[in-house]
Amino acid sequence: MRIVVAEDLYLLRDGMVRLLQAYGHEVVATAATGPETLDALLRWRPDVSIVDVRMPPSQSDEGLRAALAARGEVPGLPILILSQHVEQLYARELLADGSGGIGYFLKDSVFDADQFIDALERVAGGGTAMDPAVVVKLLSSGSSSRRLGQLTEREHSVLGLMAEGLSNQAIGRRLFLSESAISKYTTSLFGKLGITDDDDSNRRVLAVLTYLNNP
Amino acid sequence: MRQLVSWVASAGVGFVRACVAVAVAMLVPAVWAAAVALWIWWWDGDPWSGTVPFLWACIGTLALSRPVCGMFRSLVAKWTGTVIPAGYRQAGPVTQMSTGYWWNGHSYERTSRDARLDQQWRTRWRDPAIWRDLRFTAIAPITVGVICAVPLAGVGAAGFGLSQPVLSARLAGVLGLAVAIGGAPYAWRSVEPVAVRFLRPSPAMTMADRVDELTAQRADTTVAQAAEIRRIERDLHDGAQARLVALGLSLATAEKLMETAPDQARTLLREARAGAATSLTELRDLVRGISPPVLNERGLIDAVRALALDSPLEATVDADLQLRLDPPIESAVYFGIAELLTNALKHAHATRARISIARDDTGILVEVEDDGRGGADMRAGGGLDGLRRRLTVFDGTVEITSPAGGPTRVRMMLPCESL
Repeated sequence: MRIVVAEDLYLLRDGMVRLLQAYGHEVVATAATGPETLDALLRWRPDVSIVDVRMPPSQSDEGLRAALAARGEVPGLPILILSQHVEQLYARELLADGSGGIGYFLKDSVFDADQFIDALERVAGGGTAMDPAVVVKLLSSGSSSRRLGQLTEREHSVLGLMAEGLSNQAIGRRLFLSESAISKYTTSLFGKLGITDDDDSNRRVLAVLTYLNNP
Repeated sequence: MRQLVSWVASAGVGFVRACVAVAVAMLVPAVWAAAVALWIWWWDGDPWSGTVPFLWACIGTLALSRPVCGMFRSLVAKWTGTVIPAGYRQAGPVTQMSTGYWWNGHSYERTSRDARLDQQWRTRWRDPAIWRDLRFTAIAPITVGVICAVPLAGVGAAGFGLSQPVLSARLAGVLGLAVAIGGAPYAWRSVEPVAVRFLRPSPAMTMADRVDELTAQRADTTVAQAAEIRRIERDLHDGAQARLVALGLSLATAEKLMETAPDQARTLLREARAGAATSLTELRDLVRGISPPVLNERGLIDAVRALALDSPLEATVDADLQLRLDPPIESAVYFGIAELLTNALKHAHATRARISIARDDTGILVEVEDDGRGGADMRAGGGLDGLRRRLTVFDGTVEITSPAGGPTRVRMMLPCESL
């Protein structure tokens, strides 16, 4: 994959580039500031990019804004946001356009390199990848928790993994269950939540998140 | 017709108000008049016979000056809405020392009751405001008293003159009636400017109070800051720092075991990775407690929206998105709202909360309302008291309405003139 890495701290940027190269990916450009990021994203149109939220010059959410701006120009441009902290607010903003190809993770996720690369590939393929920390917050926040009251514990954990962006197969692997068992759970929970089932994995996550977001 | 009715109504109201103002203003002169009458009644050629009535009049004046001023303040506030601060000195706390004696800021007393009595006596009679009150009780009868007496005198003259058969007396009566009717709506208005001019605490006193207040605030802030720094230091020392040391140890051991026992080395490396993740989580929580990242990145409104999203309560935020404030104020408001949401969830068992942030000419007004069971109060040393103290640094105030059974509504007001 052709990847752009936007991160202002040299050590992290360098480490990330080495990690990606170790997995056989090509880093086509790196960026250290908000404007550089936007330039690189629009010029290289990479298969996927890794963008940090906080970047110079303002040391505020420059990276996030660059990502949103780039996706405004090129709808569905796959971007994985890596941040020191995850915020529901930002996750919702990223998911708002509904075109998929979005990931939002804590920087710690690179500790488990295999899963990180897996998530990166999912995003590159137009899917969604959400940090478990975001998903936990989404599922436990005020309006959602009441609506989710009718789900069983197992359905709840399946929903959580689905919101992270995993496929039925991957969910089955995580929960040590067969794929057919998972699809039974998903059908029943979609029924309880009144979401129409869809084969497209990206739309599946969006349906879940939209349901949780809107009262 | 309608104008006439409203004018008559205002004349009636004005007349009643003038009567009230005269009655209050003339209380002290009435005491003196009574003393003089008593003296004349007792008069037996000895000038010293006036001593007792004179003493009574003095004591009466001293005792009445404060209530009279208080009445004028409340009358002005009721009639015109102008609030004149009383500006009396406030008694400080009475504390028991390690010796068992009670210290009231001036002297040691054996019991807390003695300490309190002594303190009351001192704050009451050493208060410079006592001279201001005495001055006002002397000024009021000859200003407010005289002006407000005009409609009364007019009514009196009309009543007396019109009952006489003589033409000139009747003319005087008509004139008196005209004065009474014409003066009634306006005479009581003299109360406000006089009270404002003479009852307000003097600039020196206001200044002294302000200095006291600021000194207390500074002490509060310093103590709070030191406590906060100690908390951060402790958290770092016991948490992230210790974990990083352990991480280094695991890595060193793994390096050593790499050749001889690769399986053991791999276990250690896995543990090291878990340790690094845990210390990151701890650092993240610590950072959130010092200064939440969204607050730095997006400012108050988005930070509060993020807070509302993260809260298990169903919280709505109603605010002007363009609002930007100074970082210290944003931080104080943010942590205030965070505390109120926590309270609503933990103590009031609420399920919904509404947060509104609005700005007007004088400052910003934040309102947090929940549907919990209420009963919140500002206990000294409690969370709400801490909130009040944090906002006092910015001259902010906190108002709580929380009847038992709910709902609880908290209003935080912060003046920001530079907006």
